[in-house]
Amino acid sequence: MLKLMQLEIKKHKLGWYARGAAIAVVIISFFMWLMPYTEDYGEAGFNDYVEALSAAGLIVRAVFIVFASVLISRFIIDEYKNKTVSVMFTYPVQRKKLIIAKMLLILSLTFVTMIISTFIVILVFLVVNSQFHFIEGKPDGALFLHTGIQLFIQTLCATGVSLIPIYFGMRKKSVASTIVSSVFIMLLLSGNAQGFSLSSNVAIPLILGAIGFVIAYLSFRNIDKTDMV
Amino acid sequence: MSYIVSTRHVSKIYKGKEVVSGVSMNIERGQIYGLLGPNGAGKTTLMKMMLNLLKPTSGEIELFGEKLMPGSVEMFKRIGSIIEYPIFYEKMTAKENLELHGEYMGFYNKHAIREALELVQLTSIDNKAVGEFSLGMKQRLGMARAIMTKPELLILDEPINGLDPVGIKEFRNLLRMLCTEYRMTLLVSSHLLSEIEQVADTIGILQGGKFIREVSMNDLRSEHTDYIEIVTPHCKQAAFILENQLGVSNFKIIGDSMLRVYESRWTQQELTKALVLNDIEIEALNHKHTSLEEFFMQQIGGGEKHA
Repeated sequence: MLKLMQLEIKKHKLGWYARGAAIAVVIISFFMWLMPYTEDYGEAGFNDYVEALSAAGLIVRAVFIVFASVLISRFIIDEYKNKTVSVMFTYPVQRKKLIIAKMLLILSLTFVTMIISTFIVILVFLVVNSQFHFIEGKPDGALFLHTGIQLFIQTLCATGVSLIPIYFGMRKKSVASTIVSSVFIMLLLSGNAQGFSLSSNVAIPLILGAIGFVIAYLSFRNIDKTDMV
Repeated sequence: MSYIVSTRHVSKIYKGKEVVSGVSMNIERGQIYGLLGPNGAGKTTLMKMMLNLLKPTSGEIELFGEKLMPGSVEMFKRIGSIIEYPIFYEKMTAKENLELHGEYMGFYNKHAIREALELVQLTSIDNKAVGEFSLGMKQRLGMARAIMTKPELLILDEPINGLDPVGIKEFRNLLRMLCTEYRMTLLVSSHLLSEIEQVADTIGILQGGKFIREVSMNDLRSEHTDYIEIVTPHCKQAAFILENQLGVSNFKIIGDSMLRVYESRWTQQELTKALVLNDIEIEALNHKHTSLEEFFMQQIGGGEKHA
């Protein structure tokens, strides 16, 4: 399996992903810096560290769900569109294995970049905060641990969610619908209606994450019997 | 008799239309099998079914004596293929594409890539991405990819497309060589009859999804012997002379101005002499060989128009 994942990396090259992720992290960090200034316009900035850290996690997850959809387009949808799957499926390797290798790669890339990015964004925010004092006082270790675990679980769920666009993309083998569906999912998750957001509740992201895995499974359940036209 | 490929009553219904219907064919080991048919006859569909890319609606396929199932993969180690036009990862170089192929096939031989590229005479490609290749080059590269693992069975769908006349000739030699030196069994489809005629041992004709006939080239050659074709404006008189003076009985009048003599005991000279002495104008007189093309046309009832 590891071998198959390596071959995927070889095929699709990931330089563009690393560059994109780096740029995204810079922009998000900058955004986090600006956020507190919205206070002047009647919107609340960050009241405390928990809020700031959660916001950082939320933005990062939202952004990388869309990134994941780009990975899905490259690794899966494009192979169908360019018909390279019909070459891949004449290899002496189970089709399910080939697809699972792709998904695992997408999942691990998404998860790892989400974690690293969240970490960097928070770090930058803390450094900036130590200069500008958006939030008064010093954060304590217990808070970090608590929020950290929460962020970790949410990231895990978001990784599952990031697979949902596969379903929409595979229906018409369309890159556009893959990415558009991911943007919808992102808006749905990060949308905030009068203080209530879908991701503030722990259960909802958890369910959505599970749905992501189920959808991914369903999209390729019959792959051995499917015709490659 | 060991068959490498054997299909039994294989049918494929696609979008309510029967694209391949009830095809039963067998390919013996060490043969070059030509699959012949006009466009849309179902050649590609049949080949795709052999590669498990399409599933037969009914019937079954055996490869190397093993039944092909939806999840079968092991047998594909022993098969090389080009289906429709060769598909590559366009941003990668030829070499990278072949390396990747080797990895997936579980075939690790550093020399195989160079060897395969030499066989198809595609050596001066350097580090150009495959996306910049011409169709002919891609076709060659596709061939290199198919043969680099030295498979026992080669399935080639219209491999001659996009090659120039010199390339076609080289290609024919390559197919022969793969069959004789590497002991490969080849299934080659084409709508270009004259090409397949010269390499194939057996020919299967497919039309409208139906398997019309299978013949061995040897039988075909003896079945369709040489003849002498005479073009003359006085066809009837000529026929009269042939029949009554020379005693030729096996000849055929084609149209208003053409005669074919199928008896080999008369030489061209003798026929010319007999006709000229009787004041019959001769426009042309040639020794001919029925090509497979005509045979093919007869089979599919395509009439006078040649493909």
